[in-house]
Amino acid sequence: MSTRLILFFFLLMSQHVALAQTIITGTVLDHKGQELPGANIMIKGSYDGTTATSNGEFSFETSKEGYQILMVTMMGFKSVETTIECKGDEIEAGTFTLKAEITDMNAVTISAGTLEASDENKAVVLRPLDIVTTPSAMGDITGALQTLPGTSTVGNDGRLFVRGGDASEVGIYIDGLFVGNAYGSRVANVPTRTRFNPNLFKGTFFSTGGYSAEFGQALSSALALNTKDLSVRDQGDLSIMSVGGGYSHTLSSEKQSITASANYFNLGPYQSLINQNFDFETPAKSWDFEVAAQKKLNKGGHLKALFRTEGGGMELWQPLPGVEGRGVKIKLDNDYTYAQGNWSNFLTKDWTMFGGVSFSRNVDNILYDSLKIRNIGETIHAKSYGVKDFSDRISMKIGLEYFGQRYSEALPNADLERNFNDNRIFAYTEWDWYLSSKLVFRTGLRVGGSDLSSEVWADPRASFAYQISDASKVSVAAGTFNQMPVDNYRVLNPNLANSQAKHLIANYFFQKEGRTFRAEAFYKGYDNLVTFEGDQMELRNLQNGGQGHAQGLDIFFRDQTTVKNTDYWVTYSFVDSERKFDQFETQVQPSFAPRHNFSLVIKHFITDLNSQIGFSFSANDGYTYTDPNFDGEMNSKTKSFQNLSLSWSYLPKPNLIIHLACTNVLGRDNVFGYSFSQRPNEEGIYSSLPAGQVAPRFLFLGVFLTLSKDKTANNLNNL
Amino acid sequence: MKNLTLIIVLGLFTSLSAFASEYEEAMKSQIKKISTIGTDAEAQDVKNGFLRIAQANMTEWLPMYYAALVQTEAGLRFDVDKDAYFEEAQSYLKILQDAGADNSEITALEGYIMMGMVSVDPGSRGPSMSGPTMETFGRAIGQDRSNPRALYLMAQMERGIAQFFGQGPEKACGMFKRSLELFEAEKDKVDENYLLPSWGHQQALQMAESCN
Repeated sequence: MSTRLILFFFLLMSQHVALAQTIITGTVLDHKGQELPGANIMIKGSYDGTTATSNGEFSFETSKEGYQILMVTMMGFKSVETTIECKGDEIEAGTFTLKAEITDMNAVTISAGTLEASDENKAVVLRPLDIVTTPSAMGDITGALQTLPGTSTVGNDGRLFVRGGDASEVGIYIDGLFVGNAYGSRVANVPTRTRFNPNLFKGTFFSTGGYSAEFGQALSSALALNTKDLSVRDQGDLSIMSVGGGYSHTLSSEKQSITASANYFNLGPYQSLINQNFDFETPAKSWDFEVAAQKKLNKGGHLKALFRTEGGGMELWQPLPGVEGRGVKIKLDNDYTYAQGNWSNFLTKDWTMFGGVSFSRNVDNILYDSLKIRNIGETIHAKSYGVKDFSDRISMKIGLEYFGQRYSEALPNADLERNFNDNRIFAYTEWDWYLSSKLVFRTGLRVGGSDLSSEVWADPRASFAYQISDASKVSVAAGTFNQMPVDNYRVLNPNLANSQAKHLIANYFFQKEGRTFRAEAFYKGYDNLVTFEGDQMELRNLQNGGQGHAQGLDIFFRDQTTVKNTDYWVTYSFVDSERKFDQFETQVQPSFAPRHNFSLVIKHFITDLNSQIGFSFSANDGYTYTDPNFDGEMNSKTKSFQNLSLSWSYLPKPNLIIHLACTNVLGRDNVFGYSFSQRPNEEGIYSSLPAGQVAPRFLFLGVFLTLSKDKTANNLNNL
Repeated sequence: MKNLTLIIVLGLFTSLSAFASEYEEAMKSQIKKISTIGTDAEAQDVKNGFLRIAQANMTEWLPMYYAALVQTEAGLRFDVDKDAYFEEAQSYLKILQDAGADNSEITALEGYIMMGMVSVDPGSRGPSMSGPTMETFGRAIGQDRSNPRALYLMAQMERGIAQFFGQGPEKACGMFKRSLELFEAEKDKVDENYLLPSWGHQQALQMAESCN
């Protein structure tokens, strides 16, 4: 090739730049035919282009020549491309219709049965912060959830009771992994708390029914707690409370962080100052040690580990109905360990994987008068799942789980022991089908098998949600749920099979400018509940012989805007529940399922005082019980339960919080039921004793100090 | 043959440099437009211009950075769905970060967006988000101690927190003044061909004045 020829080509190439301009015009619409002002129109690979005007039209010039790709893009929509030929004249490119992209931000989510506390998601009813600042909660996750719809407060128990179900019907998970004995061990009407500190979690997903196929073995409810990702700074948190104290230290770097904490609680000093209704020989005391570590992985995933060990106990006299004196002495010693590790990451852009293992071990040593009892429960849970996004419209979750469970009850002095081992395997899949960003269907199937009861079962589930307007949506969820009976029943009869529940839930959800309204109606059918003969001391003839139902309606309203610096929420739940279970021979309203439940929480921030005042009031219409002096089962009801709690959080400096709280300020003498003597007295009357409150009020004072280079850090920042 | 190679290399070089200067020219004219923005529609047009430059220059971080900046300030200034604007700005920064871009200006803008999100609902977002926001500004300062915007933005956040706790503005004012020194030092480098971020001087001056 001659140099001249090359030069000619070179000139021809440079020539390009100086050629005539092509004018391109057109219109951009969305799938409904609405104009899309602000759409970005360009010749791909060049700077030439423009922005669609308010009527969706565009017109621009380009100096590009020949075949070019014309591209239209807009945030929230899928890009459209077309090939045009630029010849220096005018091109009418026509109308471009952009399809909305379904993203986490604009897609409708299913609200039926779910209550979420999180900072990430928009359709939430609570923020993580709300859990620690609700006065009646006293920093307990369960306590805060008891102000939400679908729950009832059972003051001498403390655990979560959801829609006519008992406390064992709630499955509790941390990062998707099972937590055995998530509540402290209970004895003799002393209410318990969740073992885990709310500061560990960035979000709480609480389902009151119709929940995902990812979870099982819970007839009523799943409570999924998600731990925080990376801690942002090095800091130390010191807490000094009227009931104990603790210290927590965090070390963090760009990719990993670790927090270790230790606490000691002893109610002795407090109870020596303030009289208690209960007759404590040794007030409750406990210690705990916890380590949580997080590591950020390259593709955006996380590696997390959590270890907790604790010990505690108490000793008290439980009066017996119809018997003079202090009654029977009961002593409880508890040791508990929980450990888990989990890994999650993106395999590819549209495949996410999760894998994890958890281990729980609980040992209760009980001394009932002179009878020594030792209960040991151990559960190992291994779980793995993958999520595949086939497109922005279809995604699939598929998972496999193993539960290994060991439980034993022993009378060490008599050298007697009974126990069981169970291995269970589950497989599940769940599919989300987005027909548009406003309409989603979810279908799921969970299959399980147990080697102890030689059972195999399948639970189909389905739900859908439809966005009515920007602020409101409706959703419906239905499904079946299987759960093995509680350990102390299975150990007596290993052949006991699953109990079943069927859920049907319809939900309306409205959220706009700081106001949330949520109404939900539900029906829950129960089958194969465990029934027995005899009393709690000696159960006979355990079988899957019970059934029942719960139905009702709950309403929730929250308003954060109308009154300045004030946030309040009101909840009313109606539950109509009847079931044949335990020793009951007919279908009765259970003691843990009051019909009318109400709660009101108000938080007001006083800027001048750097203080938040909290007010919470809960009430229900009373608890059923059987009075043997009359005919029939569950023939009586206690007076209404009412609790007004107040709190005051004072932040004199950004890193110091002083928190004062008092439950049952009015000192109402709440009664949760009655116990009756085994036999009638000489007058033929069964004498009774009320199951009441540990003390008329509980007073809490805590000082929380955060030590960090960043002076704005405080305990609340951790949430 | 030698000639041929020479000419091809020469040709390539001239067309490349033509392309490079074309990039610079486009950026310069686009950056000038930022200060003329008066409506949301104008902001969207300027943002789109940066996005067009970004798609034609995948390896440059500045076009995407400016697109995110324009969208953030539009969210702060105009009556729009603020969260959607901040989330969009965040998504542009994420594209940069996923591609491995990491510098003090990007980190400072990340904090700026978080500060905007806090401002939408300070009551409920402040407690959980102000810590991470301050931490992000701290990281930006750590990456480049001479970045005046990182310090200026941190001072703004500091002032907001001090107001919330009823404390004096002294600490924030000290930071505004120090940021002014950094802006002065930066001014010497800025000429009409300067493409790197140089915004914020005027705002910092106003803030520092309000301290007096």
